[in-house]
Parts: sequence; structure tokens; C-alpha cells
Amino acid sequence: MKSYRRYMTSKMVWYILTFVVALFLNFLLPRLIPGNPVSTIVSKITSGMADTNSIKRVYETFEKEFGLNKPIWEQFFIYVSNLFHGDMGTSFGQYPRKVTDILASSIMWTIGLQLPAIIVSWILGNVLGVLAAYIKKGFDKVLFPVFLFISCIPSFGFAIVLVWLFAVVLKIAPASGGYAFDMIPSPTISFFLSVVQHYQLPFWSIVLVGIGGQSLGMREMSIYELNADYVKYCRLLGLEDSKIVRYVFRNAVLPQITGLALSLGTMVGGALITEIVFSYPGLGSVLFNAIAAQDFPLISGCTLLITTGVLIANFVIDIIYGLIDPRIKVAQQE
Amino acid sequence: MKFKKLVSIILVFLMVSLLIVGCGSNSNANKSSSNGTKTTTTTENTVKPGEATPRSETLYISGLQWGPPTTFNPLSPSQTSLPLSATSIARELTFETLFMYNQLDGKMYPLLGKSYAFSSDSTVCTVTLNPDAKWNDGEKVTADDVVYTFELGKKYPVSWSSNWNYFDSVTAKDDTTVEFKLKSDNKNPLMVEEALESVYILPKHVWIKIEEKDNNDFSKISSEVNANPVASGPYKVFYYDNAKVVLIRDDNYWGKAPSMWGKLPAPKYIVHNIFKDNAAGDTALRQNQVDVSQQFTPNIQTFGPNIKTYLSNPPYYMPGVIPWLVINVTKPGLDNANVRRAIAMAIDYDKIAKNAMSGYSGTMSPSLMLPLDSEQKLINQSQLAPLQWKSHDIDGANALLDSIGAKKGPDGIRVLNGQKLSFKVECPTGWSDWNAALEIVASSAKEIGINIETYFPQQSVWNNDMQTGNFDMGMYSYQGIGISSPWARAYQGMSSNGYAPIGQTAYFNYGRYKNSEVDTLLNQIPNITDETQLIDAWTKLNEIYLKEVPMIGLMYRPADFYTVNTSVWSGFPVDGDGTNIPPNICMDGYGIAALYKIHSSK
Repeated sequence: MKSYRRYMTSKMVWYILTFVVALFLNFLLPRLIPGNPVSTIVSKITSGMADTNSIKRVYETFEKEFGLNKPIWEQFFIYVSNLFHGDMGTSFGQYPRKVTDILASSIMWTIGLQLPAIIVSWILGNVLGVLAAYIKKGFDKVLFPVFLFISCIPSFGFAIVLVWLFAVVLKIAPASGGYAFDMIPSPTISFFLSVVQHYQLPFWSIVLVGIGGQSLGMREMSIYELNADYVKYCRLLGLEDSKIVRYVFRNAVLPQITGLALSLGTMVGGALITEIVFSYPGLGSVLFNAIAAQDFPLISGCTLLITTGVLIANFVIDIIYGLIDPRIKVAQQE
Repeated sequence: MKFKKLVSIILVFLMVSLLIVGCGSNSNANKSSSNGTKTTTTTENTVKPGEATPRSETLYISGLQWGPPTTFNPLSPSQTSLPLSATSIARELTFETLFMYNQLDGKMYPLLGKSYAFSSDSTVCTVTLNPDAKWNDGEKVTADDVVYTFELGKKYPVSWSSNWNYFDSVTAKDDTTVEFKLKSDNKNPLMVEEALESVYILPKHVWIKIEEKDNNDFSKISSEVNANPVASGPYKVFYYDNAKVVLIRDDNYWGKAPSMWGKLPAPKYIVHNIFKDNAAGDTALRQNQVDVSQQFTPNIQTFGPNIKTYLSNPPYYMPGVIPWLVINVTKPGLDNANVRRAIAMAIDYDKIAKNAMSGYSGTMSPSLMLPLDSEQKLINQSQLAPLQWKSHDIDGANALLDSIGAKKGPDGIRVLNGQKLSFKVECPTGWSDWNAALEIVASSAKEIGINIETYFPQQSVWNNDMQTGNFDMGMYSYQGIGISSPWARAYQGMSSNGYAPIGQTAYFNYGRYKNSEVDTLLNQIPNITDETQLIDAWTKLNEIYLKEVPMIGLMYRPADFYTVNTSVWSGFPVDGDGTNIPPNICMDGYGIAALYKIHSSK
């Protein structure tokens, strides 16, 4: 157990180090884009002005307000110290909204869309993989190739196909938005139904594209396991098929859990383009708009969220892997 | 089964940990989330939460607001475009200006102000207010409010601060009379009139408290969200979130008095759904989910009989802006007026109008003026005609370049005085009609042996390049329509007041053009009252422009793409209906009169 703790500590140090470097890059990289973000914000009010001094005053006021007149290292330290207070700064593009406010209002849409979609596609994919490996027949000859084909289409491309088919041709699903165009959000049944209706296309565009990739890995692992000596031995012993499949599934699913954890970690960034296609009010749309507006604090906020998600997911895998696979725990303890 | 349990525990753990990631960093925000979404307390007869706003009482708008709504604060640089926009023709839905500008007849119509008059020497402008005008909290709109509003512009850097360039003082003579004293050394009645129709009047009793609360700290004042604005206009902010803004009619609006409109505007709600791009807005327009669209929609004539534009024939929209190809006249090669003229002659304007603008631009008639009667009558056409270039005159441009000794090098590109005529032209990425126009410019220039490369960076990069002079040629729109046009357009494009050396920031006249004769004319024009003198001055200024070509008008763009859908609402103003209501999307300047004219289609 002592060596396990040492292993955890060294892992932890690495994660913290990675986090610090990521934090620095999150801050620095957006600021390397040439151009003056203030111009995007104030251009609306200065467009009608014909007096250099007044316009200059507006620019200077907001450069000061956003701290852009300070050297970049000083901006970094202000950023970090504010971060400790849970303050990610004020958005430039959506001034005067706080970055944390914007993230809070959009993260739930993203998690609500992505988490169920990833889990459902993971479960369906793994089940399909096992069935394709064990039962073969239609699963291996028809369903599996079909989903493999779909998974080759980028999810945003597939999303556009779905919009065209279900919203434009069949007209049975709304084309965009998180809820009906004439509704005002509130905790009522009609609003909830509207959200569910608008949920379908983005949800299935992620699920259907995900199934193929998940089942591919699962099928390979299952075939490998099915040929393993213990399976043959079980068969000789006359064990039921369903029991054997259960053993096979347990062994084959291990690498799949890594895949699940990783995709959960990247889910915030992964939905970016799907969200944009459907005008879904999630984090992807926020990040996209922030990049276009050179909204440094908001870009940094989004990427920090994504980085943290990936790091935590990896860390959790490291911990639980030892727990669910005794072989790894043994290796760690050696 | 044990394994299943384990997996489910892991999944739950992962979910929770991710939720913590999401919410942990936001815990601070939730506590102080005063400027997030909000629902106003409902008054009688309004929709209940979760219900849809009744379609027949709601006017849907698109194409004004693209990002999430930010503030409803007229002092903030980032205002939500519905209902706020205080540019050269102000949006009159929630806040109101003293007068409304009508681009059709170029006249000012009374709103909060009943009348205005300049003294005989144009040094004083006296405005009389409508005594019926009230704020939506019941208080009266007084001369004090007007004075206070303009004083705010002196105190803080806001959109109307530059008016103080032309004012000496603004004083209240009595409750309903305001006197604007003009600066004697920079007397410009045009800009004073523009202030009357573009500056929102704010309630002193509200803003003085906000100032006090924020200790006169502008960064605090400008970041006030002002979610429930106290204003004088017919609509109040009802609800907003990342996806929409909903306005509700104020049934106690003062304008229903006979001295103003005599009734309330027709729509009870005005809603702007925020679409991700033009295509999404166009889809909504086709599905009758938008009534008034201010979007660039190609081939609008194919949208069916319910979709109408102001003009029933091409170019469908009223011209309102000239997007210019601004030339950096300090760059070697481009500092030669003949080279600039050759480029202007070579460009295929007809192709730009047809391909880049979907036919929404009329034939170009090179000058500083828009092809509107109000502007065209200011110039002597026959005097300018010999100087004006035609579309795609390749032979003429080649001959001109040959005559100044710009010979083609081995690569087919001309060289003038050792300088290869090879330039870069830029505009923001994603501005599809501009991008297409510049591609046409590049291919036209190639035909005369001038190499032009297109460059489409992010908007802020382009903005920065234009301001610091770090460009060869760039696309930019100076002032469009408004009471101060075309003067403000010429001033922004050619006045040496905007000049800044390369590397330093200029805020207009990005081309760095300098000409003392132009400066003199620009100083004189606002003060000329005699018509012949005015035509003389404008013709002279246009002559200089056509000879010097510091910038090239590429197309005429409408100020607003005024497209209406008559399936739910009818009676929208169109050309020739005799109402004299301009196509300003039913809300800008005198265009808001349309809201009193439209009615349900059923």
C-alpha cells in the first residue's frame, strides 16, 4: 500500500505541474493573436464619432478597464490571483458580463447534451461490439459496418445531414435552438417538452457517430478474449454461453473505460461544432464566439474548463484503474 | 453483478466530478449573479412563464443582435442592439431622442422635442420639448434631463461625447426649452442637428442615483446592466437570455397623446431571436418565424409572395452606405494618384453588384455621394461626368498606366519607378459579400498588371491594421445616411483632422489622405445656407475626390436590409405607398412610424 501511495503522489505532482503549464498557455496563447480586442467592443459607439480625442478617450478608458495597458506578465499575475478568488475576469465581447456567469449559464446545456449522449453511445457501442464478436450474423455483417460507416462522418457533417432530413425535408424536428422560438424559459411542462423536442437531433447526431468507434474497440477486444485459453477451458467445462459472455465482457471492457473517461473529459470541447450547427446555447457556441471577438478572458475560461476536465478525467482513470483491474494494482505495487 | 455495480459507481463518480468542475469554478458567479438572465415581474394581460407570446401580437425581428444580450445601458460600449442603437439614425423603441430623422425627405420629425430653430447667425439652437413627454415611471421629461444627458457626455467617454467638439454649452431656459450654444471656432449646425436625432435622452432622477451609487466611477457606471431601463419610449424590456430579447409595449406610453402619435404601436411584443448566422435567420424567415429581417439574404425575390422589400424591383433595397476600398496613400506605388485611378477604372463594379451583392447594388456612379435624390441634387452632374470612371475599363486603365511609365516586368506585374505594383487588400473574415467583392477587385487588377492579394483576418486584426496604417488597401464603410451625411462621410474619409502617421492610431481617414483644399471645403460646407454655393462646394469636393481617388466606392449597400414578411403582419411601408415612412426596419428614426401603421394580416 505504501508503494501505491508513492505512486499516487508522484502522479499528483505531475498533474499539478501539467495544470500550471496549461494555465500559463491558456492565458498566453489567445493573447498572441495580433489585433486590439478593445476595437471590437467600442467600434459600435465610436463609428459615428468624428472627433479623434473623444474616440481616443473611449479606447483608453476600456484598455484601462480591461487591464490591457499593463505589461503581459503583470496581467498574468492579476489573472492568477483573481482565479484563486474564483474570478475569471470580465468578458470583453459580452462586457460587462462576468466570465464565470457566462460559463455557468452555458455549461449545463453542454453537459446536459454531452453526458447522456456519450454514455448512451458508449453503452450501445459496447453492446454492439460484443454482439458483433459473439453472435456475429446480422450484427457483424450489417449493423456494425453501418455504424462504422457513420462514425467516419464528422459529427457536425452528420448533424447537417440530420437537420436536412428531419427538419427541412420531413419537418418533424426543429432545426436549431435549445427550445421553441416563441417560448420564454420557465419550469413548466410545455417548456420542458419543447426542450426535449429540440434535444433530439443534436443528441442523436453525437450518439450515432459515437457508436461505431466504441464498438470497433469492443469487438476487437472481445474476439481476442473469445480466443483466450480460459474461454476454451470454460467451453470444455460446459459453461453456459451467457456466463462466458459475461466473463469476456468484463475483461474486454477495461480499455473501453479509459475511452469513456477520456471522452467525458473532452466533452466540453468535443461538442463545439455540433452545438454551433444547432445554435445550441452551450459552451461550444460560447468558445466559438469568444475566439471571433478576441475575448481573452472568455477564451481562457473555456479552455481552462476543458483542461481541468481532461486532467481530472485522467486522474480518475489512474485511480480507478488500479481498483478495477487487480493486475495493474499488482504492477503498481511492484 | 458486482462488476456492474462498480461500473455504475464509477460513472456516478465521474459525473459528479465533472459537475464539480463545471460548477466549482462558477460558485462565485451564482452568488452574485445579478446580471444573468432575468424575468421581469409580469403586469396584467401579459404572457405567463412558459407560455408562448401570442403570434398575432408579436413582431419578430432578426439580424440586429448576434451575440448574447449584454446591457441595456446607453452609456455602455456594449449595448444590446434591440432595443438600443444610438448611431446616426437612432433606434426609438425604448430610449428616445429629441427628433427623428427621415432618410426619405431628409427632414427631422418631432419626438421628445416639439421644434427646434437656429438663430440667424447659427450660433444658438433652441429646442422646445413636448410637454406631454413622460418617462415610463410617470415622471415628466424636462429640459433638465436633456441638459443632464449632454453633460454626461462631457463627463464620461460615451458615444455622444464627441458632440462637445461642436457645443459650447447646453442650458435649460425653462422646463421645456433647451438652448445649445455652438462653438464659434468649430461651428457646425449639421453635427448639432445630428446630436438632436442620435443622442438618447436619459432620466436625470434615475442616473444621478446610479452615478452616486458608483461614486462617479465610469467603469462601474458603464458596466451597469440596467435590465429594467427607465426610458420614455413605447417598449420596455420584458425578458432576455442568451437566445432572445423580448420587449413589451408600455400601455401608458406618453406618445399616445394627440400631440404625438395619438395611439399605441400595434405589436404588443417585439421579439428578437438570436440566430447563429444569416442562414439560420433566413430559414426562420421562410417558416414565418420572422416578420422584419435585417439580414443580407441572397435572392430575396425567390422567397415567395409574402416576403417583401422596400422596392419591388432590383436593387430591392434603398442605398444607404458605400463600402469603400480605402487606399493607404503613403505606400510607395499607391502614393501615385494615377495608379489609384487605374485601379478604380479596372474594377468590375457590375460584377461586384451582381455576384457579391446578389444584385442589391445599383450601377456605380463614382463620387462621394449616394445615389439618393437628397445627395445627388448637391452636385453638378455634367461637371463631374468627364472625371467619373466606368466599370471594368481595362483598356483605359492600361493606357493610363502605360502613360506614366509603369512597365510590365517578366512576371507580368508592372513596375513603377523601381516599385513593383503588388499590394495586399484586407477585410474581416466571414463578411461574405465584402470578401467576394475584394476577390473581384483582385482579379480585375490582375488584368492591368497590378498584383492584389486578398487577406481576410479576424475583425479586430483588420480594425487594428486600418487604425495603425499597417495595410495597403482595406475595405471600410464611413458614415452612411443621417442628417450629417454626406458631409460626415467626406469628413471621415478625407479630413486631415483624422490623419495620424503610420504606426500611430488614426480613428478615421485610415488612408492617411491630406489636402488643405479639402479641409477648407469641409469647414465651409456645414455653414453654407445658399443652395448654389452649396452645389458649388460639393461639386468642387467631388472633383478633388475623383482626381485624387483616396478611396474607391465598391458598391452601394442599404443602411438596413429591410425585408418584411406579410404572413402575420401587413401594412409595412413600401416604396410609393405615399406614407413617407422610410425603410428603417420599423424602429430607426422616423421608420418607427411603421409600428403605428401595421396591422394583423387576418
